[in-house]
Amino acid sequence: MIPVLGLLAGLAIGLVIDPSVPVWLQPYLPIAVIAALDAVFGAVRAVLDGIFNDKVFVVSFLSNVIVAAFIVFLGDQLGVGAQLSTGVVVVLGVRIFSNVASIRRHLFKA
Amino acid sequence: MDERPADGRTPQERRPDASMTLLTSMLERPLDPSYQAAADRRRAAGETPATSSRTVLVFVMMLLTGLLFAIGAQALRPKPTAAATVRDELVSRIETLQTHSTAQEATLAALSKQVRDLEDLSLQQSGSDDLTAQIKQLEVGAAAVPLRGSGLTLTIDDAASADADANAGNRPSGGFQQGRVTSGDLQIVVNGLWGAGAEAIAINGHRLSSTAAIRFAGQAIIVDFRPLSRPYVITALGDPQGMQQIFEPSFAGVYLDQLRQEYQIRSSIATSDDLTVPGDTSAKLDHAKPLSGTVGSAPSLTSTQTGSGSGTGSEGATSAPSSPASGSTPNPQETTQ
Repeated sequence: MIPVLGLLAGLAIGLVIDPSVPVWLQPYLPIAVIAALDAVFGAVRAVLDGIFNDKVFVVSFLSNVIVAAFIVFLGDQLGVGAQLSTGVVVVLGVRIFSNVASIRRHLFKA
Repeated sequence: MDERPADGRTPQERRPDASMTLLTSMLERPLDPSYQAAADRRRAAGETPATSSRTVLVFVMMLLTGLLFAIGAQALRPKPTAAATVRDELVSRIETLQTHSTAQEATLAALSKQVRDLEDLSLQQSGSDDLTAQIKQLEVGAAAVPLRGSGLTLTIDDAASADADANAGNRPSGGFQQGRVTSGDLQIVVNGLWGAGAEAIAINGHRLSSTAAIRFAGQAIIVDFRPLSRPYVITALGDPQGMQQIFEPSFAGVYLDQLRQEYQIRSSIATSDDLTVPGDTSAKLDHAKPLSGTVGSAPSLTSTQTGSGSGTGSEGATSAPSSPASGSTPNPQETTQ
Protein backbone atom coordinates (compact mmCIF):
# COMPACT_ATOMS: atom_id res chain seq x y z
CA MET A 1 0.00 0.00 0.00
CA ILE A 2 2.80 2.43 0.89
CA PRO A 3 4.54 2.02 -2.51
CA VAL A 4 1.21 2.71 -4.23
CA LEU A 5 0.84 5.86 -2.14
CA GLY A 6 4.33 6.85 -3.21
CA LEU A 7 3.42 6.33 -6.84
CA LEU A 8 0.26 8.40 -6.51
CA ALA A 9 2.12 11.15 -4.64
CA GLY A 10 4.76 11.24 -7.37
CA LEU A 11 2.09 11.45 -10.06
CA ALA A 12 0.31 14.25 -8.19
CA ILE A 13 3.50 16.23 -7.66
CA GLY A 14 4.51 15.82 -11.28
CA LEU A 15 1.10 16.94 -12.52
CA VAL A 16 0.91 19.92 -10.16
CA ILE A 17 4.34 21.42 -10.55
CA ASP A 18 4.55 20.53 -14.25
CA PRO A 19 8.32 20.90 -14.60
CA SER A 20 9.65 21.76 -18.00
CA VAL A 21 11.92 19.09 -19.43
CA PRO A 22 14.93 20.30 -21.39
CA VAL A 23 14.62 19.47 -25.04
CA TRP A 24 17.79 17.35 -25.13
CA LEU A 25 16.29 15.10 -22.45
CA GLN A 26 12.95 14.59 -24.13
CA PRO A 27 13.90 11.72 -26.51
CA TYR A 28 14.88 9.62 -23.49
CA LEU A 29 11.65 10.11 -21.55
CA PRO A 30 9.52 7.49 -23.33
CA ILE A 31 12.25 4.87 -23.03
CA ALA A 32 12.80 5.78 -19.38
CA VAL A 33 9.08 5.42 -18.72
CA ILE A 34 9.01 1.95 -20.32
CA ALA A 35 12.11 0.90 -18.39
CA ALA A 36 10.59 2.14 -15.14
CA LEU A 37 7.37 0.26 -15.89
CA ASP A 38 9.37 -2.90 -16.44
CA ALA A 39 11.20 -2.47 -13.13
CA VAL A 40 7.92 -1.78 -11.27
CA PHE A 41 6.14 -4.80 -12.71
CA GLY A 42 9.19 -6.93 -11.98
CA ALA A 43 9.10 -5.72 -8.38
CA VAL A 44 5.39 -6.49 -8.03
CA ARG A 45 6.00 -9.97 -9.31
CA ALA A 46 8.91 -10.42 -6.91
CA VAL A 47 6.68 -9.35 -4.01
CA LEU A 48 4.09 -11.93 -5.04
CA ASP A 49 6.79 -14.57 -5.50
CA GLY A 50 8.02 -13.76 -2.01
CA ILE A 51 11.51 -12.83 -3.09
CA PHE A 52 11.29 -9.03 -3.14
CA ASN A 53 14.42 -7.16 -2.22
CA ASP A 54 14.36 -3.40 -2.03
CA LYS A 55 18.01 -2.96 -2.96
CA VAL A 56 17.61 -5.15 -6.01
CA PHE A 57 14.55 -3.11 -6.97
CA VAL A 58 16.43 0.17 -6.77
CA VAL A 59 19.41 -1.19 -8.63
CA SER A 60 17.32 -2.81 -11.36
CA PHE A 61 15.22 0.33 -11.71
CA LEU A 62 18.19 2.63 -12.09
CA SER A 63 20.15 0.30 -14.33
CA ASN A 64 17.10 -0.27 -16.54
CA VAL A 65 16.52 3.43 -16.99
CA ILE A 66 20.17 4.30 -17.48
CA VAL A 67 20.91 1.46 -19.89
CA ALA A 68 17.79 2.16 -21.92
CA ALA A 69 18.63 5.86 -22.11
CA PHE A 70 22.22 5.04 -23.03
CA ILE A 71 21.14 2.73 -25.83
CA VAL A 72 18.93 5.44 -27.26
CA PHE A 73 21.70 8.01 -26.89
CA LEU A 74 24.16 5.72 -28.65
CA GLY A 75 21.62 5.01 -31.36
CA ASP A 76 21.10 8.74 -31.89
CA GLN A 77 24.84 9.24 -32.29
CA LEU A 78 25.00 6.38 -34.79
CA GLY A 79 21.93 7.47 -36.68
CA VAL A 80 19.85 4.43 -35.74
CA GLY A 81 18.12 5.91 -32.70
CA ALA A 82 14.64 5.01 -33.88
CA GLN A 83 15.55 1.38 -34.52
CA LEU A 84 17.30 0.96 -31.20
CA SER A 85 14.37 2.61 -29.41
CA THR A 86 12.09 0.08 -31.05
CA GLY A 87 14.38 -2.73 -29.94
CA VAL A 88 14.38 -1.51 -26.35
CA VAL A 89 10.61 -1.12 -26.37
CA VAL A 90 10.13 -4.64 -27.77
CA VAL A 91 12.41 -6.30 -25.24
CA LEU A 92 11.03 -4.40 -22.27
CA GLY A 93 7.50 -4.83 -23.56
CA VAL A 94 7.89 -8.61 -23.73
CA ARG A 95 9.19 -8.62 -20.18
CA ILE A 96 6.37 -6.41 -18.98
CA PHE A 97 3.77 -8.71 -20.52
CA SER A 98 5.38 -11.87 -19.08
CA ASN A 99 5.59 -10.30 -15.64
CA VAL A 100 2.00 -9.09 -15.81
CA ALA A 101 0.92 -12.58 -16.83
CA SER A 102 2.71 -13.99 -13.81
CA ILE A 103 1.15 -11.35 -11.52
CA ARG A 104 -2.24 -12.27 -12.95
CA ARG A 105 -1.64 -15.94 -12.16
CA HIS A 106 -0.76 -15.01 -8.59
CA LEU A 107 -3.71 -12.74 -8.05
CA PHE A 108 -6.54 -14.42 -9.91
CA LYS A 109 -5.17 -17.97 -10.18
CA ALA A 110 -6.00 -17.75 -13.85
CA MET B 1 24.90 -11.49 -10.93
CA ASP B 2 25.32 -15.21 -11.08
CA GLU B 3 23.58 -16.79 -14.00
CA ARG B 4 21.42 -19.76 -13.14
CA PRO B 5 20.40 -22.12 -15.91
CA ALA B 6 16.70 -21.79 -16.38
CA ASP B 7 15.92 -25.45 -16.27
CA GLY B 8 18.61 -26.81 -14.01
CA ARG B 9 20.70 -28.33 -16.76
CA THR B 10 24.40 -28.06 -16.59
CA PRO B 11 25.86 -25.72 -19.13
CA GLN B 12 27.63 -28.63 -20.79
CA GLU B 13 24.41 -30.11 -22.17
CA ARG B 14 23.51 -28.13 -25.23
CA ARG B 15 19.90 -27.30 -25.46
CA PRO B 16 18.35 -27.74 -28.87
CA ASP B 17 17.55 -24.03 -28.90
CA ALA B 18 20.94 -22.99 -27.60
CA SER B 19 21.39 -20.56 -30.43
CA MET B 20 18.35 -18.65 -29.24
CA THR B 21 19.37 -18.16 -25.63
CA LEU B 22 18.58 -14.49 -25.78
CA LEU B 23 14.97 -15.09 -26.78
CA THR B 24 14.62 -18.02 -24.40
CA SER B 25 15.88 -16.15 -21.39
CA MET B 26 13.76 -13.17 -22.30
CA LEU B 27 10.60 -15.22 -22.57
CA GLU B 28 11.20 -17.72 -19.79
CA ARG B 29 12.71 -15.53 -17.12
CA PRO B 30 11.27 -12.07 -17.41
CA LEU B 31 12.05 -11.47 -13.75
CA ASP B 32 15.41 -10.02 -12.95
CA PRO B 33 17.52 -13.03 -11.83
CA SER B 34 19.11 -10.91 -9.13
CA TYR B 35 15.86 -11.06 -7.12
CA GLN B 36 16.26 -14.82 -6.86
CA ALA B 37 19.95 -14.46 -6.10
CA ALA B 38 19.32 -11.95 -3.32
CA ALA B 39 16.59 -14.15 -1.87
CA ASP B 40 18.93 -17.13 -1.89
CA ARG B 41 21.60 -15.13 -0.12
CA ARG B 42 19.16 -14.02 2.55
CA ARG B 43 17.92 -17.55 2.99
CA ALA B 44 21.51 -18.73 3.41
CA ALA B 45 22.05 -16.04 6.04
CA GLY B 46 19.02 -17.34 7.93
CA GLU B 47 16.67 -14.41 7.13
CA THR B 48 13.32 -14.36 5.37
CA PRO B 49 13.87 -14.42 1.62
CA ALA B 50 11.91 -11.23 1.01
CA THR B 51 12.52 -7.82 2.51
CA SER B 52 9.62 -5.58 3.36
CA SER B 53 8.22 -3.55 0.53
CA ARG B 54 7.37 -0.76 2.94
CA THR B 55 10.81 0.76 3.27
CA VAL B 56 11.72 4.36 2.69
CA LEU B 57 13.83 3.29 -0.26
CA VAL B 58 10.89 1.71 -2.02
CA PHE B 59 8.67 4.70 -1.24
CA VAL B 60 11.20 7.14 -2.67
CA MET B 61 11.68 4.95 -5.74
CA MET B 62 7.95 4.78 -6.36
CA LEU B 63 7.69 8.53 -5.85
CA LEU B 64 10.35 8.96 -8.51
CA THR B 65 8.51 6.54 -10.80
CA GLY B 66 5.29 8.50 -10.42
CA LEU B 67 7.18 11.73 -11.10
CA LEU B 68 8.74 10.18 -14.18
CA PHE B 69 5.35 9.09 -15.51
CA ALA B 70 3.73 12.46 -14.88
CA ILE B 71 6.62 14.44 -16.32
CA GLY B 72 6.88 12.16 -19.32
CA ALA B 73 3.19 12.40 -20.04
CA GLN B 74 3.11 16.16 -19.69
CA ALA B 75 6.29 16.86 -21.62
CA LEU B 76 5.47 14.62 -24.53
CA ARG B 77 1.74 15.08 -24.90
CA PRO B 78 1.10 17.03 -28.11
CA LYS B 79 0.26 20.54 -27.09
CA PRO B 80 -2.46 22.54 -28.80
CA THR B 81 -0.53 24.51 -31.36
CA ALA B 82 -1.12 28.06 -32.36
CA ALA B 83 -2.53 26.85 -35.67
CA ALA B 84 -5.15 24.76 -33.88
CA THR B 85 -6.17 27.72 -31.75
CA VAL B 86 -6.55 29.92 -34.80
CA ARG B 87 -8.49 27.18 -36.56
CA ASP B 88 -10.91 26.85 -33.64
CA GLU B 89 -11.42 30.60 -33.64
CA LEU B 90 -12.09 30.64 -37.37
CA VAL B 91 -14.54 27.77 -37.05
CA SER B 92 -16.44 29.58 -34.33
CA ARG B 93 -16.47 32.78 -36.38
CA ILE B 94 -17.80 30.93 -39.41
CA GLU B 95 -20.49 29.33 -37.30
CA THR B 96 -21.52 32.66 -35.81
CA LEU B 97 -21.69 34.26 -39.23
CA GLN B 98 -23.69 31.35 -40.62
CA THR B 99 -26.21 31.68 -37.81
CA HIS B 100 -26.37 35.41 -38.48
CA SER B 101 -26.86 34.80 -42.19
CA THR B 102 -29.65 32.31 -41.56
CA ALA B 103 -31.44 34.83 -39.35
CA GLN B 104 -30.98 37.55 -41.97
CA GLU B 105 -32.39 35.28 -44.65
CA ALA B 106 -35.47 34.65 -42.54
CA THR B 107 -35.91 38.41 -42.09
CA LEU B 108 -35.46 38.88 -45.81
CA ALA B 109 -38.10 36.26 -46.58
CA ALA B 110 -40.55 37.91 -44.21
CA LEU B 111 -39.86 41.35 -45.68
CA SER B 112 -40.23 40.16 -49.27
CA LYS B 113 -43.56 38.63 -48.35
CA GLN B 114 -44.60 42.01 -46.95
CA VAL B 115 -43.46 43.71 -50.11
CA ARG B 116 -45.43 41.27 -52.24
CA ASP B 117 -48.52 41.74 -50.11
CA LEU B 118 -48.20 45.49 -50.47
CA GLU B 119 -47.75 45.13 -54.22
CA ASP B 120 -50.91 43.04 -54.39
CA LEU B 121 -52.76 45.61 -52.34
CA SER B 122 -51.58 48.46 -54.50
CA LEU B 123 -52.50 46.58 -57.65
CA GLN B 124 -55.96 45.83 -56.34
CA GLN B 125 -56.43 49.45 -55.36
CA SER B 126 -55.51 50.55 -58.85
CA GLY B 127 -58.26 48.30 -60.13
CA SER B 128 -56.40 45.73 -62.18
CA ASP B 129 -56.48 42.44 -60.32
CA ASP B 130 -55.91 40.41 -63.45
CA LEU B 131 -52.21 41.19 -63.12
CA THR B 132 -52.00 39.43 -59.75
CA ALA B 133 -52.35 35.99 -61.28
CA GLN B 134 -49.71 36.78 -63.87
CA ILE B 135 -47.29 38.02 -61.24
CA LYS B 136 -47.89 34.92 -59.16
CA GLN B 137 -47.09 32.75 -62.12
CA LEU B 138 -43.93 34.67 -62.93
CA GLU B 139 -42.81 34.57 -59.32
CA VAL B 140 -43.12 30.80 -59.33
CA GLY B 141 -41.02 30.68 -62.45
CA ALA B 142 -38.40 32.99 -61.00
CA ALA B 143 -38.17 30.85 -57.87
CA ALA B 144 -39.02 33.86 -55.75
CA VAL B 145 -41.71 32.18 -53.66
CA PRO B 146 -41.70 28.96 -51.68
CA LEU B 147 -43.61 26.11 -53.28
CA ARG B 148 -45.23 23.02 -51.91
CA GLY B 149 -46.49 19.90 -53.57
CA SER B 150 -45.72 16.36 -54.59
CA GLY B 151 -42.37 15.42 -56.02
CA LEU B 152 -39.18 13.45 -55.73
CA THR B 153 -36.41 13.46 -53.18
CA LEU B 154 -33.08 12.34 -54.58
CA THR B 155 -30.35 11.84 -52.02
CA ILE B 156 -26.76 11.57 -53.24
CA ASP B 157 -23.87 10.91 -50.93
CA ASP B 158 -20.15 10.27 -51.16
CA ALA B 159 -19.02 6.66 -51.25
CA ALA B 160 -18.65 5.05 -47.85
CA SER B 161 -14.92 4.72 -48.38
CA ALA B 162 -14.61 8.48 -48.66
CA ASP B 163 -16.17 8.93 -45.24
CA ALA B 164 -12.96 8.81 -43.27
CA ASP B 165 -12.08 12.42 -43.88
CA ALA B 166 -15.44 13.68 -44.97
CA ASN B 167 -15.56 16.36 -42.30
CA ALA B 168 -15.67 19.82 -43.73
CA GLY B 169 -12.43 20.69 -41.96
CA ASN B 170 -10.53 17.78 -43.44
CA ARG B 171 -11.27 18.35 -47.06
CA PRO B 172 -8.14 18.13 -49.12
CA SER B 173 -7.33 21.40 -50.78
CA GLY B 174 -7.06 19.96 -54.23
CA GLY B 175 -6.98 16.92 -56.37
CA PHE B 176 -9.72 14.65 -57.53
CA GLN B 177 -10.87 11.99 -55.15
CA GLN B 178 -12.81 9.02 -56.31
CA GLY B 179 -15.98 8.38 -54.42
CA ARG B 180 -16.80 12.03 -53.88
CA VAL B 181 -19.79 13.69 -55.40
CA THR B 182 -18.62 16.54 -57.59
CA SER B 183 -20.42 19.64 -58.71
CA GLY B 184 -20.49 18.19 -62.22
CA ASP B 185 -22.42 15.18 -60.97
CA LEU B 186 -24.96 17.45 -59.33
CA GLN B 187 -25.26 19.55 -62.48
CA ILE B 188 -26.01 16.51 -64.60
CA VAL B 189 -28.54 15.15 -62.11
CA VAL B 190 -30.28 18.50 -61.69
CA ASN B 191 -30.46 19.04 -65.42
CA GLY B 192 -31.84 15.54 -65.77
CA LEU B 193 -34.54 16.39 -63.27
CA TRP B 194 -35.41 19.60 -65.14
CA GLY B 195 -35.56 17.51 -68.26
CA ALA B 196 -37.86 15.05 -66.55
CA GLY B 197 -40.35 17.82 -65.93
CA ALA B 198 -39.45 19.16 -62.50
CA GLU B 199 -41.13 22.46 -61.77
CA ALA B 200 -38.96 23.54 -58.87
CA ILE B 201 -35.73 22.14 -57.49
CA ALA B 202 -33.91 22.76 -54.25
CA ILE B 203 -30.61 21.25 -53.11
CA ASN B 204 -30.20 20.94 -49.36
CA GLY B 205 -32.83 23.61 -48.93
CA HIS B 206 -31.35 26.06 -51.45
CA ARG B 207 -33.79 26.82 -54.22
CA LEU B 208 -32.38 26.77 -57.70
CA SER B 209 -33.48 29.87 -59.52
CA SER B 210 -32.84 30.56 -63.18
CA THR B 211 -29.46 32.02 -62.33
CA ALA B 212 -28.34 29.77 -59.52
CA ALA B 213 -25.05 28.09 -60.25
CA ILE B 214 -23.73 24.75 -59.08
CA ARG B 215 -20.01 25.13 -58.88
CA PHE B 216 -17.07 23.87 -56.93
CA ALA B 217 -14.47 25.68 -54.90
CA GLY B 218 -11.65 23.43 -53.86
CA GLN B 219 -13.49 20.28 -52.98
CA ALA B 220 -16.62 21.99 -51.71
CA ILE B 221 -19.77 22.19 -53.78
CA ILE B 222 -21.22 25.67 -53.97
CA VAL B 223 -24.84 26.20 -54.87
CA ASP B 224 -25.89 29.77 -55.36
CA PHE B 225 -22.74 30.91 -53.51
CA ARG B 226 -23.50 28.81 -50.46
CA PRO B 227 -21.33 25.80 -49.71
CA LEU B 228 -23.10 22.52 -49.21
CA SER B 229 -22.14 19.60 -47.06
CA ARG B 230 -22.95 16.00 -47.78
CA PRO B 231 -25.39 14.30 -48.15
CA TYR B 232 -26.89 16.22 -51.04
CA VAL B 233 -30.67 16.12 -50.91
CA ILE B 234 -32.28 17.25 -54.14
CA THR B 235 -35.95 18.06 -53.83
CA ALA B 236 -37.78 18.29 -57.13
CA LEU B 237 -41.44 19.23 -57.32
CA GLY B 238 -43.53 17.79 -60.07
CA ASP B 239 -45.35 14.63 -60.98
CA PRO B 240 -43.45 12.01 -58.93
CA GLN B 241 -44.21 8.93 -61.00
CA GLY B 242 -43.86 10.70 -64.30
CA MET B 243 -40.57 12.32 -63.37
CA GLN B 244 -39.14 9.07 -62.11
CA GLN B 245 -40.16 7.28 -65.27
CA ILE B 246 -38.50 9.86 -67.44
CA PHE B 247 -35.47 10.42 -65.21
CA GLU B 248 -34.29 6.89 -64.65
CA PRO B 249 -33.76 5.84 -68.25
CA SER B 250 -32.49 9.31 -69.18
CA PHE B 251 -28.84 10.23 -69.48
CA ALA B 252 -28.72 11.62 -65.93
CA GLY B 253 -30.33 8.49 -64.51
CA VAL B 254 -27.89 6.21 -66.30
CA TYR B 255 -25.03 8.49 -65.26
CA LEU B 256 -26.09 8.22 -61.62
CA ASP B 257 -26.26 4.46 -62.00
CA GLN B 258 -22.74 4.44 -63.39
CA LEU B 259 -21.51 6.54 -60.49
CA ARG B 260 -22.98 3.99 -58.13
CA GLN B 261 -21.37 1.08 -59.93
CA GLU B 262 -17.99 2.62 -60.59
CA TYR B 263 -17.39 4.74 -57.53
CA GLN B 264 -19.90 3.39 -54.99
CA ILE B 265 -21.50 6.82 -54.76
CA ARG B 266 -24.72 6.30 -52.84
CA SER B 267 -27.97 7.60 -54.15
CA SER B 268 -31.59 6.94 -53.37
CA ILE B 269 -34.77 8.28 -54.84
CA ALA B 270 -38.05 8.64 -52.98
CA THR B 271 -41.42 10.02 -53.94
CA SER B 272 -43.54 12.09 -51.64
CA ASP B 273 -46.85 13.88 -51.80
CA ASP B 274 -45.91 16.70 -49.54
CA LEU B 275 -42.63 18.44 -50.25
CA THR B 276 -41.70 22.06 -49.90
CA VAL B 277 -39.01 24.10 -51.55
CA PRO B 278 -38.11 27.51 -50.16
CA GLY B 279 -38.08 30.65 -52.20
CA ASP B 280 -34.78 32.03 -53.39
CA THR B 281 -34.24 34.84 -50.93
CA SER B 282 -31.69 36.52 -53.11
CA ALA B 283 -34.20 37.09 -55.90
CA LYS B 284 -34.54 40.79 -56.64
CA LEU B 285 -36.26 42.96 -59.17
CA ASP B 286 -33.82 43.33 -62.00
CA HIS B 287 -35.76 44.34 -65.02
CA ALA B 288 -39.16 45.96 -65.46
CA LYS B 289 -41.03 47.23 -68.50
CA PRO B 290 -44.38 48.90 -68.91
CA LEU B 291 -47.26 46.76 -70.09
CA SER B 292 -48.81 47.75 -73.35
CA GLY B 293 -52.18 49.31 -72.64
CA THR B 294 -51.18 50.07 -69.11
CA VAL B 295 -53.82 50.80 -66.52
CA GLY B 296 -53.56 54.33 -65.37
CA SER B 297 -50.70 55.05 -63.06
CA ALA B 298 -50.49 51.55 -61.68
CA PRO B 299 -46.91 50.42 -61.50
CA SER B 300 -46.24 47.85 -64.15
CA LEU B 301 -44.92 44.96 -62.25
CA THR B 302 -44.75 42.42 -64.99
CA SER B 303 -41.15 41.89 -64.56
CA THR B 304 -38.59 39.24 -64.31
CA GLN B 305 -37.11 38.51 -61.01
CA THR B 306 -33.70 37.06 -61.06
CA GLY B 307 -31.38 35.77 -58.47
CA SER B 308 -28.38 37.71 -57.41
CA GLY B 309 -26.10 35.34 -59.24
CA SER B 310 -26.90 36.87 -62.58
CA GLY B 311 -24.07 37.66 -64.88
CA THR B 312 -21.36 35.76 -63.06
CA GLY B 313 -20.73 33.76 -66.14
CA SER B 314 -19.31 31.00 -64.02
CA GLU B 315 -18.67 27.62 -65.42
CA GLY B 316 -21.44 25.15 -65.00
CA ALA B 317 -24.31 27.48 -64.32
CA THR B 318 -27.53 25.57 -64.53
CA SER B 319 -30.61 27.30 -65.63
CA ALA B 320 -34.09 26.58 -64.52
CA PRO B 321 -36.76 26.75 -67.12
CA SER B 322 -38.25 30.15 -66.91
CA SER B 323 -41.71 28.91 -67.53
CA PRO B 324 -43.38 27.30 -64.57
CA ALA B 325 -45.98 25.55 -66.64
CA SER B 326 -45.82 21.85 -66.06
CA GLY B 327 -45.56 19.75 -69.13
CA SER B 328 -43.59 22.42 -70.86
CA THR B 329 -40.85 21.25 -73.08
CA PRO B 330 -37.98 19.75 -71.14
CA ASN B 331 -35.19 22.18 -70.85
CA PRO B 332 -31.92 20.34 -70.36
CA GLN B 333 -29.25 22.95 -70.33
CA GLU B 334 -25.86 22.26 -71.62
CA THR B 335 -23.32 22.48 -68.89
CA THR B 336 -19.67 22.81 -69.26
CA GLN B 337 -16.98 22.26 -66.76
